[in-house]
Amino acid sequence: MISLLINILILLFVPFLMIGVIKKTKAFWAGRKGVSIMQPLWDFLRLMKKDSVISETTSWVFKFAPVAGFASILFAALFVPLVAGKPIFNIPFAFVVFSYILGFGKFFSLIAALDTGSSFEGMGASREACFSTIVEPAFFIGMASIAALSQNYTFESLRLILKNAGTYGYLIIALLAVTLFIMLLIECCRVPVDDPTTHLELTMIHEVMILDNSGADLGLITWGSAIKMFLFEALIANLILPVSLHGWMALAAFLAVVFILAVIVGTVESSMARFRMTHVFEFIFIMSITALIILALVTYRMYGG
Amino acid sequence: MEIYFLALGMLFAGALVSAAVKEQWKFKICSVFSLIASAMLFIPAAAVLLTGGTLKQTVYMSPILGNVEFVIDPLSAFFVMVISVMSLLGTIYANGYMKPYLNKGMNVSSHCFFLMMLITSMILVVTVQNALFFLIVWELMSLSSFFLVIFEGEKKEVISAGIKYLVYMHLSVIFIIAAFVLLNIQSNSLSFADFAAVLQNNANLANIVFLLAFTGFGIKAGFVPFHNWLPDAHPAAPSHVSGIMSGVMIKTGIYGILRVLLFVGTPSKLVSYTVLIISVISALYGVLYAITQHDIKRLLAYHSIENIGIIGIGIGAGMLGLAYSNPVVAALGFAGGILHILNHSIFKELLFFAAGSVYLKTHTRNIEKLGGLIKNMPYTGLMFIIGSVAICGLPPFNGFISEFLIYAGMLQGVPASEINLFITLIFAIAGLAMVGTMAILCFTKASGITFLGNPRSENAMNVQGDVSRVMIIPMGILAFLTFFIGMYPQYFIGAVLVPVFMFIKNEAVMPVFNSVMELVSVLSWYFFIFLIMVLVLFALRAVLNRKTQIHNTWGCGYDRANNHMQYTASSYADLFISTLKPLFKRVTHIKKPKELFPKEAYYELEIEDIEEAYIVKPLVMWDEKLLAKFERIQSGNIQQYILFGLIFLILAIVGMIYFGG
Repeated sequence: MISLLINILILLFVPFLMIGVIKKTKAFWAGRKGVSIMQPLWDFLRLMKKDSVISETTSWVFKFAPVAGFASILFAALFVPLVAGKPIFNIPFAFVVFSYILGFGKFFSLIAALDTGSSFEGMGASREACFSTIVEPAFFIGMASIAALSQNYTFESLRLILKNAGTYGYLIIALLAVTLFIMLLIECCRVPVDDPTTHLELTMIHEVMILDNSGADLGLITWGSAIKMFLFEALIANLILPVSLHGWMALAAFLAVVFILAVIVGTVESSMARFRMTHVFEFIFIMSITALIILALVTYRMYGG
Repeated sequence: MEIYFLALGMLFAGALVSAAVKEQWKFKICSVFSLIASAMLFIPAAAVLLTGGTLKQTVYMSPILGNVEFVIDPLSAFFVMVISVMSLLGTIYANGYMKPYLNKGMNVSSHCFFLMMLITSMILVVTVQNALFFLIVWELMSLSSFFLVIFEGEKKEVISAGIKYLVYMHLSVIFIIAAFVLLNIQSNSLSFADFAAVLQNNANLANIVFLLAFTGFGIKAGFVPFHNWLPDAHPAAPSHVSGIMSGVMIKTGIYGILRVLLFVGTPSKLVSYTVLIISVISALYGVLYAITQHDIKRLLAYHSIENIGIIGIGIGAGMLGLAYSNPVVAALGFAGGILHILNHSIFKELLFFAAGSVYLKTHTRNIEKLGGLIKNMPYTGLMFIIGSVAICGLPPFNGFISEFLIYAGMLQGVPASEINLFITLIFAIAGLAMVGTMAILCFTKASGITFLGNPRSENAMNVQGDVSRVMIIPMGILAFLTFFIGMYPQYFIGAVLVPVFMFIKNEAVMPVFNSVMELVSVLSWYFFIFLIMVLVLFALRAVLNRKTQIHNTWGCGYDRANNHMQYTASSYADLFISTLKPLFKRVTHIKKPKELFPKEAYYELEIEDIEEAYIVKPLVMWDEKLLAKFERIQSGNIQQYILFGLIFLILAIVGMIYFGG
């Protein structure tokens, strides 16, 4: 019971801190002092209090989309292992449910972008929809491969790789971590795929879709995307942390991994510019390639040698 | 079983009565008779699905046909259920859709007659177990649907689509006849029951027969590369016909494949791989081309190809499960595939009806000319969005359940004994995932551009009010069904299970299947939580957003954006299409601006199906060239023709004496 409560608290509040850490890291590399780590939380609370402006073109879809997006992310979170490795809803084939639930939210945020009749927002929607067509198959190949390896179809398979793959396990873990990290950068729209702080609408992906959202809607969207990023970090944490950790040690290690990943994201953002839109595909294909290498390794482990 | 014949009689009577009455009564008569028939068909079908038994009646038809067996086994019962319900909704919808066509001197009588004949023949196709009679009703089905397609036959594109459809259907029937003739020669019988016995011990013959039947029935179902008739025929037909054709008629092709699979018993590995690979290709190809289309009904037609592919993936996985004697994979694969037949018929009919309503109100199918319709047509818009979410396979709607079963089946099969099975299944999983995300791209385009944003043309601007209630209600029922199956999948999987166990004669699969059923019912609880989450959050949002201002859309400081500055369907799809350039044939029509003050200039991009451009068209050209050589014997002289006939007869007799022995 306590671990459930802790997990829920972590799920709801750590994402804000994580975004704060990213901001702090970027400030550090830029030689600034930066805002407080808690600032994203204060921003969120301020947004919740604000009135909103809604475009006259929009219909109910526009109002429903932030809710659908946030609910789908929160619901998907229940299938993802956080601390202690067990998700709240621990079912087989959870990664399929996870992706499709996120798809539900994505569907509505895409059509909400078209709902405004804007000349820019469709552009972001088009890009987001297009990128995920390449991301998802790679994710499925990776997850299906490791599920086959341990014959365990829940997300626990992330923690069983070493046990079943021997020394290859380290390589598989490393490759899967890279795959998931690239997926994080794409799905959560970070540099080098997208720049969340850019000021030019033409180059945006996620930010341009929510140009017309304001007030509580915008608050829900930012909170949702922070949680989404946190979920991918949680997957990576469960992948790389030793299985033997228990209790408070597990909690500390989990949080450490989450914040270290946030620092890495911040460092990547400070050290490179975003790609030209045409080069983004090449970047995404790296993920397909790592997924295919995982498949090859798993195949070799199961049938070869 | 008597009630079944009575229902068939009812449908036929409906066809005759509707031809006799006044025009404004015709569709009402059709609906009433098909309502009665559906209610009557429901009784034997439900009885079979609940008890798992089989109803049988043998009727002596004629010396040629011999005894014709009418059988409702679980597989037939499932299809009878789907066909009767979906066709009924189609005839109700037709009441509203056909209103503008009444009393205009169009041939509504024959339309009604063939509509009822189509329903009758579809019911017969799935229940008759005599090869020759099957072919007769199969042909009846193809012909009546052909006449339905060419309802607006005065339009050139409609008649050419109709003829293309007819040609494809007859190609299909050639392969089916070939398969049945092979079986007939071996078994000396026309009864399906005897066919199974022949194939049990003859693996080569089973392979050949199955591949022939798969080709024949696959043309009907629309597997790639035999899909080409679908994207032409569906836009040409009236919307309720497209709904019935895409929702149920193409599924009779799947029925044929499943029926032949029952003759075969355990398929060989070769054919199982063939089915799975062709299905994955069909699914990807269908959705890929759906993204390029801007004619909303053509887009939906390409999506039928995709969904037939998904059904095929389920069946292919099931066949691989049988071939590798892995009953768990087989059970889940078949269950997912067969459930997807039901699911696809529901949401595809829903989408075609909604698209038809849009066409009725705006007189255009080009989504580039639409937009903002949700404000004037709120119900149709809601229905289309629900259908879109369902067809993308997103929870908590029905498409997710069947795709989830297929995933579960393939993942269970993944730790396989053989490396090629392992790799194939992993790639099929990845393919299915890709299809899902591409469907999201396609349907956000279709629903977003059609219903949201600002109107893009006069047609879309001048829409007054939603369609009539008689069209909304069938759509509402379908939308409710998509949601209901998504929330309570247990009951429907239970119904699907009975036909599935015709393929798997292994009771050992029950425990695993029970665990999956348990998983699905757990999921349905989770979806309740999801639903509550969405509703609570939506209420919360309304509370938080009490004070809202209305302003125009943010245009980067520019305040006078108009409807032509919106993102269009082409630009929405362009990023994706330009990434996959080699897979499309792009035809551009350009008129460049000339002179100092250019008056007219345009740029038009059209995407042609590569299968049509590089395979079908060259074949037809080659065929025309060949046939042109025979023009010389067409003199118009009747005496000469009689001479040809005589020569042919003599050759035939000589041949018979020579070869007949």
